[in-house]
Amino acid sequence: MIPKIAILGANGFIGSRTAEMLHLSQLVEIRPIVRNFASLARLARFDLEDDLDCRVADGFDESKLSEAMIGCDALIYAIAGDRQTILQTLKPVYRAAEEIGLRRIVYLSSASVHGQAPPPDTNDESPLSDRQSFHYNNSKVRAEWKLQALRDKGTVEVVILRPGIVTGPRSQWVRNFADALLNGQAYLINQGRGICNSIYIDNLVHAIFLAATVPQIDRQAFLVGDTETVTWADVYRPIADALGDDLAQVPEAIVPQFKPGLGQRFDAIRSSGMVQGLLGYFPVKWRRLASAAIVRLREGEAGSPWRMPNAIAPMANKEMTELYQCRYKMPHQKATRLLGYEPPISFEEGCRRTIGWMGFAGYPVEDGLK
Amino acid sequence: MSIYVPRMSTPLTKCVQVALIGCGTVSQLYYTPALQELERQRIIEVRQLFEPDPQNLATVCRAFPNANSIANLADVNTHLAIVASPPRFHAEQSIQLLQAGINVLCEKPIATSTDEAEAMIAAADSSNQRLAVGLFRRFLPATQMIRGLLQTQTLGEVQSFSIYEGGVFSWPVQSAAFFKKQVAGGGVLLDIGVHALDLLVWWWGEPVALEYEDDAMGGVEANCHLKLSFAQGFTGDVRLSRDGLRSTRYHIHGKRGWLNWSTDEVENLEIGLTTGKVLKGLLHEASLQKDMPVAGRPAFNFQQSFVSQLCNVVATINGNDSLTVPGTEGLRSLRVIEQCYGQRRLMAMPWLSEVEQQRAYALGDHR
Repeated sequence: MIPKIAILGANGFIGSRTAEMLHLSQLVEIRPIVRNFASLARLARFDLEDDLDCRVADGFDESKLSEAMIGCDALIYAIAGDRQTILQTLKPVYRAAEEIGLRRIVYLSSASVHGQAPPPDTNDESPLSDRQSFHYNNSKVRAEWKLQALRDKGTVEVVILRPGIVTGPRSQWVRNFADALLNGQAYLINQGRGICNSIYIDNLVHAIFLAATVPQIDRQAFLVGDTETVTWADVYRPIADALGDDLAQVPEAIVPQFKPGLGQRFDAIRSSGMVQGLLGYFPVKWRRLASAAIVRLREGEAGSPWRMPNAIAPMANKEMTELYQCRYKMPHQKATRLLGYEPPISFEEGCRRTIGWMGFAGYPVEDGLK
Repeated sequence: MSIYVPRMSTPLTKCVQVALIGCGTVSQLYYTPALQELERQRIIEVRQLFEPDPQNLATVCRAFPNANSIANLADVNTHLAIVASPPRFHAEQSIQLLQAGINVLCEKPIATSTDEAEAMIAAADSSNQRLAVGLFRRFLPATQMIRGLLQTQTLGEVQSFSIYEGGVFSWPVQSAAFFKKQVAGGGVLLDIGVHALDLLVWWWGEPVALEYEDDAMGGVEANCHLKLSFAQGFTGDVRLSRDGLRSTRYHIHGKRGWLNWSTDEVENLEIGLTTGKVLKGLLHEASLQKDMPVAGRPAFNFQQSFVSQLCNVVATINGNDSLTVPGTEGLRSLRVIEQCYGQRRLMAMPWLSEVEQQRAYALGDHR
């Protein structure tokens, strides 16, 4: 029998591609669950009447969640959000799953539980700390612990996936760099030579499918990534090429000494994956106003009306600085061994598809590259 | 900040009684504050509300405590009815009201098909009542300014244009019906697209040729792409998106210059010449100091422009103006939309695997 898999947060970047890929490839029957009716917009490309059975349930609402999960075998937990959302939705989701006798929850954690630039030899079993510099990392660590604790007392299996930098169509890493290039605000550190622990979105969906269906992996956490070891320049070069830019001309950012100053702390929060993801939900006008206010604030700091524009080199924030200085390719041997995970999409093919999406999304991609 | 009443070319004379037909999201977010402002100015008086959903009705009733709730459209006895119900009811309700001798302002899209829209226009003609369409972007100062720039060929002959409009869909819809094809009739093209296409036909007339593709796979499109050719000899692209992650931008490129406008900042306009700097700023009303033309007060913002749409309908009812967007104008963009849906193709989605692409084609009803 084909299992039925619920996808919680099915309108987000990872959730929506998971729903699209699993549904179109007919590997499993899926049940996308979203927070509100407006979040059905992307899923509604499919016939919501006869083809795709979507439900609406808030991640904090246990009874709505259990109602939405009825008949499902496993749940993909792909909710994105702030610290409260990450931590406070775990219990209602787990309880709802338990109530309807769900077999397994696949939780989407992050490789950042090991830090942005993990030390060599870091692997799936390395101890985690919730005293890192970034709130997002700490929240994800605590979420993993909380889920394991719920599992200790409950009956629903828990499998955790820790993807690194998720690239591909709609990825914030792709959009942010492309937008920064178009706006003349892109920067690199150390010429982008740091290692990017990338995973193309479809490889992650493949890992999700395995995590939901492979037996005897209860309580396991898996790092997952692409096969190839790539640098940030490798990730960004195809984007720059597609937009007719030369990555070699992208300026180096100034890397400040990261004392825990207010500005840097603000930058760290602002540039975190979670906040960048959430920013997409705010009107562009608000984002522009906020950006302009920050620039004015900084110019105020710089002080002089005689200062010429563009004299200020781009300033790297702490998160990007650490990411750009990563020297270690995270392993995924455990996923290969226990899940049978072999990334089906090569890095090169992932880049090709990503550029194709940029054309779809209306980026000024040069002809022949779409 | 209170909204001031738009200056009308001729005075408003009669307080117009209004019935609001449909008290859902668009009524709550847009019509309610606009009508409240005009009530405050004693230009209109909301007398009747028609809404089958008790919760929606109660919400709007609170804003208009003097209005009566009616259960039947036959009971409408005001000068003007604003039809803000779901689009599938527009034609039936508008025709009934027009035939009963009530002027109608129908929210966009005018109807879900051109046949319906034509029947509405015929009903308005035969009953000698006014039928206006809520395509309020024509009241935005920037779109009027753009029209003026195009008419005077300030930027030279238009060479091309590109429009990207969209964002993560956040309209507070109250049920999944909004996205069901049989109920909604369409997706982003029928929703945002009707606004964008209305501006284009207003600026340049109806396109002489078009190509259309979208990403619907049995449901309603979240993204679509149009290539439009106009009689003036230029072609352009329109991309609309409900999960768009890029900034909205209208770009028109002329022989002598270009302009950019964004629905995210409706009061702003960017104008550049082929040589030289770019002018970017807020629009103002034209004014005079003695004989010297100067910038007057700031032009209407988004909300004030919405109010001025209602003022135009009221002034027309009072015999002081003519409708800026009559039914015949609302029909034009709908005609383009129908042509698009009639020749829809599936957008290339290069991130899909071969298996997925085959399935996507099988699910869709594309040509």
